[in-house]
Amino acid sequence: MSVTYTERGQGSALADFLSEKAQVLSIAFFFVVCVAFFSIATDVFLTPGNLLNVLRQAAPILVVAVAMTFVIITAGIDLSVGSQVALINASAALTLSFGVPWPLVVLAMLLLGAAIGLGQGWFVAYQGIPAFIVTLAGLSILRGAALYMTKGYSIPITDVPGFFVLGRGTLLGIPVPAIIALAVAAAGALVIGSQIYGRRVVAVGSNPEAARRVGMPAKWTIASVYMLTGIASAVAGLLIAARLGSGSSNAAVGFELQVIAAVVLGGTSLFGGRGSILGTILGTLTIAVIGNGLILMHISPFFTQIVTGAIILIAIWLNTRIFTAGFSFRRKPS
Amino acid sequence: MAASSALQAVDPEGPVPSGQPQVPRISLRGIRKTFGSIEALRGVDLDIAPGECVGLIGDNAAGKSTLTKIISGTYIADSGSIAIDGEPVSFTSPAEARARHIEMVFQDLSLCDHIDVMGNLFLGREETRWSFLNNASMRERARAMLDDLDIRIPKLTAKVAQLSGGQRQAIAIARAASFEPRVLIMDEPTSALAVAEVEAVLRLINRVKARGVSVILITHRLQDLFRVCDKIAVMYEGTKVAERAIGDTSLEDLVRLIVGKGEEI
Ligand SMILES: Nc1ncnc2c1ncn2[C@@H]1O[C@H](COP(=O)(O)OP(=O)(O)OP(=O)(O)O)[C@@H](O)[C@H]1O
Ligand SMILES: [Mg+2]
Repeated sequence: MSVTYTERGQGSALADFLSEKAQVLSIAFFFVVCVAFFSIATDVFLTPGNLLNVLRQAAPILVVAVAMTFVIITAGIDLSVGSQVALINASAALTLSFGVPWPLVVLAMLLLGAAIGLGQGWFVAYQGIPAFIVTLAGLSILRGAALYMTKGYSIPITDVPGFFVLGRGTLLGIPVPAIIALAVAAAGALVIGSQIYGRRVVAVGSNPEAARRVGMPAKWTIASVYMLTGIASAVAGLLIAARLGSGSSNAAVGFELQVIAAVVLGGTSLFGGRGSILGTILGTLTIAVIGNGLILMHISPFFTQIVTGAIILIAIWLNTRIFTAGFSFRRKPS
Repeated sequence: MAASSALQAVDPEGPVPSGQPQVPRISLRGIRKTFGSIEALRGVDLDIAPGECVGLIGDNAAGKSTLTKIISGTYIADSGSIAIDGEPVSFTSPAEARARHIEMVFQDLSLCDHIDVMGNLFLGREETRWSFLNNASMRERARAMLDDLDIRIPKLTAKVAQLSGGQRQAIAIARAASFEPRVLIMDEPTSALAVAEVEAVLRLINRVKARGVSVILITHRLQDLFRVCDKIAVMYEGTKVAERAIGDTSLEDLVRLIVGKGEEI
């Protein structure tokens, strides 16, 4: 009896693609469903004016969500982004009210954000304190600092038209904040997908000890992603200040939850190693669309919070149920 | 199999004719290491010449992995000294050992599950251009690295998590063997490999030895030792209890030494 030895077929490339991209495809599908629903349910949703408004409001979330994607890929979390946004927001308004030229203020705020982020990153990476604890402390400290500085008052920003362009301007009809956010997202996708730094971030999230053993600067990589959320929070704080024309220690309350929800909705694993900037963009837009659509439907803003939370929970639950093949939220035993 | 290769160990000295006095490639003296209350190593001495393969054997928890991890900079010894080519070194991180061309296949493989085959082969050694990964050039070399080990991995872009245990092990071996090692440490590299793949690994060891690479092989497959090793060091409870030239020992002798019924040297 003779048996012929045959090689396994290559399998369809489409099947590989689908299982690889299942998470992004499902959030894309969910996004389209949300858009379709609100387009039918309200007259205003699909008007260009409203869509641009959605983009403008989603911009600060997207900027921080891109950086948060890096943090979550390293299996970390940054709960302090909302407080960082508030601190930067208030600091920017204060320094502008002292008459400091606005480009200098922007630069100083970016540096301040980087320094705050790096400080938290140092505790996480070099001192081994869980990111959850460090940034929870940061959440309290930084919000407190913002409140202390402003005594709780909102600080108006006046007579800096150049600065206001950041929040209110348009370029070819598209809001400037949206352009900035998309540029940040594009840069983030490029870095994570094809740069050495992105490879290090994924390696550290996937197997930190392996990254150390092959000689990668594992600790510095972990510290640096918190610097990224710090800088991104500074950008978001500036965009919000420029849009509202004021700075307040009460800005961006609950912001961290929106950001983390956007990232996780986009398919980035909370256990590290896997994430997608495209998913984060879609996740952010979905959350923005839901928030905007519910307001247009004149549903009570209190109820909006409940619905947003429930939709996020259900979406993530469906994601893990339907697309479990290779996409479990648990780290695979190895 | 052809010795076509991504393996291009350069060694200035090359293998030295036997009988000639020479500086050991690696020389360990009095290495000690404790983890909490466990004395993992209780003073180990070991010399390895260039182009020599040492088989490191011993019971489970004898301290084999700990000793090799100290050589590769993964752990730092509590006391004792390491010299490379006669020059004292003290590694504080794996990066320093790797910079001196000490490469190790870890027992747990140390692969990143979420990164593809090519990325794992080049982990920590990525080729870049303006800080961008140079995938085209890495892909070509990755193919050659795998072909060298006779390993069949259809897709270089497959995530390592999707591969079989043996394929994963082969990737870890290819990674350690392909970047001009001067010392190559393999901690149970063949435990998950099939017949043909084990043969390929043994051939690989003989090939790199011929180029003057010093090899430390930890394995529980004692018959393999006689195919590649020049000497065998036996460990027991954190000490080296015996060292035998391969010609002076037998399978039965080694088994006796491992279980602790052999006479001391
Ligand atoms: N990181 C660590 N923390 C605590 N104890 C450790 C650590 N690494 C090793 N040990 C202890 O040191 C001793 C030697 O372990 P080691 O891994 O070197 O054994 P081994 O000879 O490689 O065994 P095996 O054949 O099972 O791989 C064991 O008792 C182990 O429990
Ligand atoms: Mg071991």
